Amino acid sequence: MKKFFLLFVLFTIYDLSAQENYVVNGVIKDAENNETLAGVNILIPELQRGTVSNEYGFYSIKLPEGTHTIEISYLGYQTVSQQINVDGNLQLNFDLSAAAQDLQEVVITEDIERLNISRPEMSVNKLEIATIQKLPVVFGEVDVIKSLLLLPGVSNAGEASSGFNVRGGAADQNLILLDEATVYNASHLFGLFSVFNPDAIKNLKLYKGGIPSNYGGRVSSVLDIYQKDGNSREFEANGGIGLISSRLLAQGPIKKDKSSFLVGGRSSYAHLFLKLTDNENSAYFYDLNTKLTFRLDPKNTILFSGYFGRDVFKLSDSFDNIYGNSVFNLRWNHVLKDNIFSNLSLIYSDYYYGLTLDFVGFNWNSGIKNFNFKYDLDHYLNENLNLDYGIHGTWYEFNPGEIEPSSSSSGIISSKLIKKYAFESAAYISVEHNISEKISAEYGLRYSSFLRLGQEELNLYPKEGPVTFNSRFGIYETTDPIGTKNLEKAKVERSFGNLEPRLALAYIISEDMSVKLSYNRMTQYLHLITNTSSPTPLDVWAPSGRYIEPQSLDQVAAGYYKTFSGNSYSLEVEGFYKALENRLDYIDGANLIANDAIEQVILPGEARAYGAEVLLKKNSGRFTGWLAYTWTKSEQRTPGRTAEEPGINDSQWYATAYDKPHDLSITGSYELSQKWDFNANFVYQTGLPTTYPSGQYQFESLTIPVYGLRNSNRLPDYHRLDISATYTPKPNKRSGYISSWNFGIYNVYARKNAVSLSFRENEDTGINEAVRLSLFGIVPSVTYNFKF
Amino acid sequence: MKRICLLLLLLSLISCEEVVDVDLEESAPRLVVEASLLWNNEQEENKQVIRLTTTTAFFEDKIPAATGATVTILTATGEEYVFNEVTDGVFTHENIPPVLNVDHQLVITYEDEVYVATAQFVPAPPLGYVEQSLGGFSGDEVEFKLFYRDPAGVENYYLFRYINEKISLQIYEDEFTDGNQTFAFFSDEDAEPGDMVGFQIEGISEGFYEYMYILRSQSGTGGGPFQTQPSIVRGNIVNTTNPENFAFGYFRLSEKNMLTYEVE
Repeated sequence: MKKFFLLFVLFTIYDLSAQENYVVNGVIKDAENNETLAGVNILIPELQRGTVSNEYGFYSIKLPEGTHTIEISYLGYQTVSQQINVDGNLQLNFDLSAAAQDLQEVVITEDIERLNISRPEMSVNKLEIATIQKLPVVFGEVDVIKSLLLLPGVSNAGEASSGFNVRGGAADQNLILLDEATVYNASHLFGLFSVFNPDAIKNLKLYKGGIPSNYGGRVSSVLDIYQKDGNSREFEANGGIGLISSRLLAQGPIKKDKSSFLVGGRSSYAHLFLKLTDNENSAYFYDLNTKLTFRLDPKNTILFSGYFGRDVFKLSDSFDNIYGNSVFNLRWNHVLKDNIFSNLSLIYSDYYYGLTLDFVGFNWNSGIKNFNFKYDLDHYLNENLNLDYGIHGTWYEFNPGEIEPSSSSSGIISSKLIKKYAFESAAYISVEHNISEKISAEYGLRYSSFLRLGQEELNLYPKEGPVTFNSRFGIYETTDPIGTKNLEKAKVERSFGNLEPRLALAYIISEDMSVKLSYNRMTQYLHLITNTSSPTPLDVWAPSGRYIEPQSLDQVAAGYYKTFSGNSYSLEVEGFYKALENRLDYIDGANLIANDAIEQVILPGEARAYGAEVLLKKNSGRFTGWLAYTWTKSEQRTPGRTAEEPGINDSQWYATAYDKPHDLSITGSYELSQKWDFNANFVYQTGLPTTYPSGQYQFESLTIPVYGLRNSNRLPDYHRLDISATYTPKPNKRSGYISSWNFGIYNVYARKNAVSLSFRENEDTGINEAVRLSLFGIVPSVTYNFKF
Repeated sequence: MKRICLLLLLLSLISCEEVVDVDLEESAPRLVVEASLLWNNEQEENKQVIRLTTTTAFFEDKIPAATGATVTILTATGEEYVFNEVTDGVFTHENIPPVLNVDHQLVITYEDEVYVATAQFVPAPPLGYVEQSLGGFSGDEVEFKLFYRDPAGVENYYLFRYINEKISLQIYEDEFTDGNQTFAFFSDEDAEPGDMVGFQIEGISEGFYEYMYILRSQSGTGGGPFQTQPSIVRGNIVNTTNPENFAFGYFRLSEKNMLTYEVE
């Protein structure tokens, strides 16, 4: 911490010595609703100088005395070009207007792409919420995470699986941030939909590699999502009625131009139809998004935001299941100096899982809670150096589960699995450095620390550890603890500290071409305990500690970037290699549910992934879209701890459950007229890995398949075409009641894509058979959207 | 997990299951030992049966019998019981008395290799009564709660059988029910009022519980996002001649108690 402070002082001094320039700063907003805009390009063409607005719309740039032209450009907005006279520090706010719907107008993309080419940032994908809303999706339910799957390097473990996988990483290795707060489970209905209400979202950014040092805690990727601030100009409501869910969002000023509110809700309603048919079963989800923004003065903004979502399943009286996330945070944006922007976040987030199984006679609940503190600074040192530095701290409480009898006739004895506690903290600095006209770099260092705090009844084991290898039967078995240890919550049971260097370099070959290189090391102290192909809502998070080491990942990536024909096309080609240590694997027959001693059923292994990605985009014109192709290999292995042990899968590398060597997606959008807009996407993927039986036998009247090595077979290849059309009856209407229709067809040619192949005995005939389960046939949908 | 799948199906009424042709490779056959020795105190005679089969191709209709083996049980107290092969691969012995706390060793010689396994007799509590109700997704499945009292202060593991037209198995442990009156749960969509159905409880060891736990996860509906990884399931049979050529199956000695019930 001391060192960190020293660095801060050092930079401040350096700062003073470079004071021949003046600082121009301000906030960039949408003219219509006063929403701040992140990632806007601010360029001074004659000086070849530029910067980008941060997540809160703030920018700061140093300019020499004199008259300059400043150009503000952002995709989908009219570029603003303005003469400014710099004779002292200046505060300049810009309001950008959305590009007119007029098709004849050419939106200037030139400068936008130029900056992307020259900045060291790589392996990052941004998706505009407007783009996401047009994509054809199953049931017409606009879905943020499902849209990400169309990007290179992003996939999932099959239709209706929860989460997503980035560059061959596991679903629990993605840091999902909603307004800076960690979201632990991003899925509704076991993965059919994601928890983000698209109407409430302003923008999102996915980091697949070259991850800057201000992010940490997950090894694979960062999905950074920001909610809208709320319209502080005028009241506005919008919503939609779909097949599965309906949504409504209201926003408006509390005090015009100063403060605003936003409140949005979304709920599915299929269960209402079940009620009508007198069926007591129920399955639904809902979520609520709220936000309050107060712009106190040009230097201070306070933001409150909240999210609450739940999934509810009821199967008559015998099965009752509720789970979901809640997030609450308070942020304070403060401009410390003209060139230093700070954000303080205080965040509470939790994930709750509750289950009642009447046929077993128990109630169960588990979850994770955390309090999070973040202080981040953006320091615009001079024209060549931008610094980001800050500190993060998170206190965790893990509740692995509590069991109680569900009724008086139940034989269940109340029992609480031991709660666990931890404190994670980090300090980081990141430097964006224009080294020369040709070379720019972003380098940084993050120091992360994880303190596993005291708990009751921590198991102690003999020296062979919590897992014993039974050499007689050739199997792994749990070791019985030889005692337990109680330690106060305030004491540290075990501590970890890791340095995480990050580096990204860009070499600009020409104005429209560059190559980039990045390296990042990431550490993850939390492990999602799951031995299914895709996480389930009841999986619990386990902290690192005496028996579990943190996951640690190194990634290198290299890329080539090019724009063509006046920037209407852009091409990105990247290759990457990732190596991961301490990936947990599970011994055969590991029971993970209500297990108070997870350490007895896990073995540490390793994982690796490598691949190449191509993204070709057409950015302008009536026809826009992209082609994304990914080739990857994602594998893991868990060798034995000694030469005698077989490890898992005979110590062999095996394909992860989400390994898809070839993954192609083509997405196109065609604007026929102002009223009609057409979209289509096509997806082709190698089938997911699976294991075929190599034989069978019978035991205790059960037919048991004999399996060989894991995941050595594949499901048939997956492909699908979806189309949609958006109809806006009165496209020129700017105020009052505006509506649009979205018609979609998912899986147009009704391919029966296999979700799984089951090898089982037919219940009636007793004959063994292979059964393919396919989830969605052709699914038409219609959604009505409105705004007033 | 089955119920989760059911919910998924409910949500996407358009999902479909179809039998498809898949070409499978076949692994070399292994010996499979089904040596579940069961005793019921009320029966005068407890005839013991040990079945030896081998693995075969997955789509094969017939499970081949392993013939020509010798099967013997030796106890730590010096008793020796030699089994007779009555039909292909089926070995019986008329009279083995159950003895607590004594190691029983099964010795099988098959195709010049010796397989051994050791187990002890595990008692089981008597069955109490049955509660019946309607339930399930559509509300027309007959659900049975089979009550029994778990002995306090010891770790217990049970195998339950429900016997109607089909047999279904359940395994339970008493981690959260130790010493209590508790129940095993079965549901049957085909049960009709008047049907005589049977229930059976068998005391099993922790090792056999773990074994059945894995076995059942393997024999269920494989694949899908919520399925665990398939694996080779090793029991307690060890090939002492050639350890690599291990056998599948299990050797155990259990007390069993039965109850017949007329569906209401």
